[in-house]
Parts: sequence; C-alpha cells; structure tokens
Amino acid sequence: MLETKKSKFESLVRGYSTELYRYAYWLCRERFQAEDLVQETFTRAWQALDGLRDDKAAKSWLYTILRNEHARQFERKRIEIDGTQELDEIVDSGSMNAHESFEMRDAIEALPISYREPLLLQVLSGFSCSEIAAKMDISEGAVMTRLTRARLALRKLTGRATERKEKVR
Amino acid sequence: MMTCFEFRRTILANPRERTRNQDQHMAQCAKCAALAREVEDFDARIHDAAMVPVPEALADRVLLRHKVREPARFGGSRFGVWALAASLVIALGAAIQLYRADSGDQERVATAAAVGEGHAAVAAISYVLDHEPQLLKANVSGDPAVMKSALTRLGLNLPSQGTTVRYLGKCPVPGGDGEHLVLQTPFGQVTLILVPEQSLGPRVVVAYRDRTAAVSPVRSGSYIVVTDSLKNVKQIEKMLM
Repeated sequence: MLETKKSKFESLVRGYSTELYRYAYWLCRERFQAEDLVQETFTRAWQALDGLRDDKAAKSWLYTILRNEHARQFERKRIEIDGTQELDEIVDSGSMNAHESFEMRDAIEALPISYREPLLLQVLSGFSCSEIAAKMDISEGAVMTRLTRARLALRKLTGRATERKEKVR
Repeated sequence: MMTCFEFRRTILANPRERTRNQDQHMAQCAKCAALAREVEDFDARIHDAAMVPVPEALADRVLLRHKVREPARFGGSRFGVWALAASLVIALGAAIQLYRADSGDQERVATAAAVGEGHAAVAAISYVLDHEPQLLKANVSGDPAVMKSALTRLGLNLPSQGTTVRYLGKCPVPGGDGEHLVLQTPFGQVTLILVPEQSLGPRVVVAYRDRTAAVSPVRSGSYIVVTDSLKNVKQIEKMLM
C-alpha cells in the first residue's frame, strides 16, 4: 500500500515538478521561492494523496495546491502588488526595463499577477479558459477579458521596448 | 456569421483553440486572418519567454527531501514509533561515545549504521555524491547575500583568499532547507551546508561512501561539512572559525 503510494508520488514529482516550478516562478518571480513552493506543494500533495481518486485530475490538483500555498505564503505581498498596480498604469508608465534578449520576459514580469497568472496557465500549462476560471474562482468571461488585455499589454510593452532600442541606435 | 469585432475578441483571448466560426471568418476576411497569424506568432514568443530554466535535479531534490523527512513527518504507525525509539537509543549511544572520544586527541568517527540512514550527516553525504555533480554542471548560483547572512548568523567566517564558491543553492536537511555551498579550498573540494536557527543534534562525525561528514551545532544553528577525510574536515572547520 505504502509502496504504491510512494510510486504514485514519485511519478507525480517526476511528471510535474518542471512545469510546477515554472508556474511558481511566474507567480513569485523569484527562483528560490519558486523551488520552495514546489517542495511545499509536494509535501502537501503527499499528505493528501490518498484523497486523489482520479489520476487524470492530478495536474489540476497540483496546480491548485501550489496556487493556494503561494496565496498562503505570500498573501500580504500579493495584496500589495494587486492593490497598487493596475494594468494601464504599467503599460502607460513606460518604466519597463527591457533588455534586448529578455524583452518579453521582462514584459511578462511587469504584468500584474491577476493578468500574468491566467496567461501563463493558458500558454505554459495548457489549461482552457473554463479550467482557469475554476482555478481562479472567477467567471470564464472575466478570464477571457484578462487574457485579451494581457496580450494587448504585452504587445504594447514589447513594442515600446523595441522603439526605445531603435531610438538608441 | 461572426463579426470582425467578435473574431478579434476571441482570438486574443484564446488563439490556440480555433472554432469553425473563426475559420469561416478568416476565409473571408484577410485582415483578421493576418491578425490571427500574428497573434499565434506572438503567443509562441510568450511561450518561449515563459520557459524559464528549471533548477537541475529538482525532482530528485523533492524526492530526497521526502525521504529525509519521512520518518518524522509521515511516521505514525506502530512501526514508526518503534523506529523512532530505536533511533533515539542509537543516537544517544553515539552521542555518549562521541562525548567520550572528545576527551581524547582523535575524534571518534561513527558509521552510517551507528547513527542511522536518516541522520543529517549520512543524508548530506548521499546528497553530495548523488546530486552535487549535476548541480555543478548546471552552473547556477544562489544569492551571495543569503549565504553571507547564514554565515554571520552561525558565527562562521569564509576567507576570501584561497577559497572559491563553485555552487550556491539550497538543499534538503531534516526538518527544512539548508544553504548549500560547494567550495574549492586549498584542501580540495568541500561541501558546506549551513542550517541557521535549527539544531541538528550534538556534534557527530560520520564516515560513509568514501566521504566524511561532520554535523556540528554552533551559535543559533548548525552546519555540516562534507569532504574526503576527517583531517580535511578539521582543516575546514579551523578555516571557518
């Protein structure tokens, strides 16, 4: 019984730790914290593994654990970010520090978490709009709006960085 | 029939899942078709940028941490209680032996069997031998400020001359994480694991798999040194104090 659980756990760790790390990284934008989040996610996953009946739901289940853990660990920080940063302010400020090779990465980092998270869940993790809506506890329409706005903001941000580079040349 | 406005709204929200309505619209509207291609290319750029490098051997570290923590965190069975009691008796025995040995010139070196496989010294040696080569290949570096802060809290000193930090990161230790340093020193390659604010028990030196590890309590925490001999463990400790 324990061996089966261990084997199931190991396959989850080997199968999902990479993508969970990337999701964690884009939530907290700090690689050591991201690794801590992944470690803690799997600790909690182990404790609750007996409750996972459907193996097909494992991926979504792990993402939810990580998301909750991030909210628990960085709740104050997250509120500060969301409370002070609006998407329009970010795009209009022109303060993005975009280096040539990391232009897009910087632009993604500059997005407020409420826009960055659904975008990464879709682009990186392959979740559908309805799955993202369930995970974030918002409507599917709200997810679509955020995704649209996130993409438009990234186009504007990366376009501005390119313009700046051309002016420098 | 879908309008251009509707098409643009849906394609920007979800460029990956194209519907039949969208395909029909694209067939009739060149501008929207061009936009769809542009959004697809842009999404590929977002995807590439989002693929940040993942720390080497991450899955192995997660599994190792669970292995290390397992007796304490997951034990709850009758066997677990007996195993814990047996470990305590062994640890106490080892501690008494080491205390006696301390009074002599040469420190007693315990075996892995004497201290148990879950002991921090044994786990550290396993980690060094099984994971460190991959970590060194990954050529990643942690935050030097975190390392300095951990050294200061433990009252240790890393000489700037003659010592090079080859790797800086985190590693699992019983009950949490440690600051993991790989140093190139005049005495060879040495692993130093700093564990601030946490006691790993009394001082123990263990020889296992051709390595020697010393776990020592210090001011507000513990450290672990892993190298190839007791002599070099002592040299490193002298250098750090």
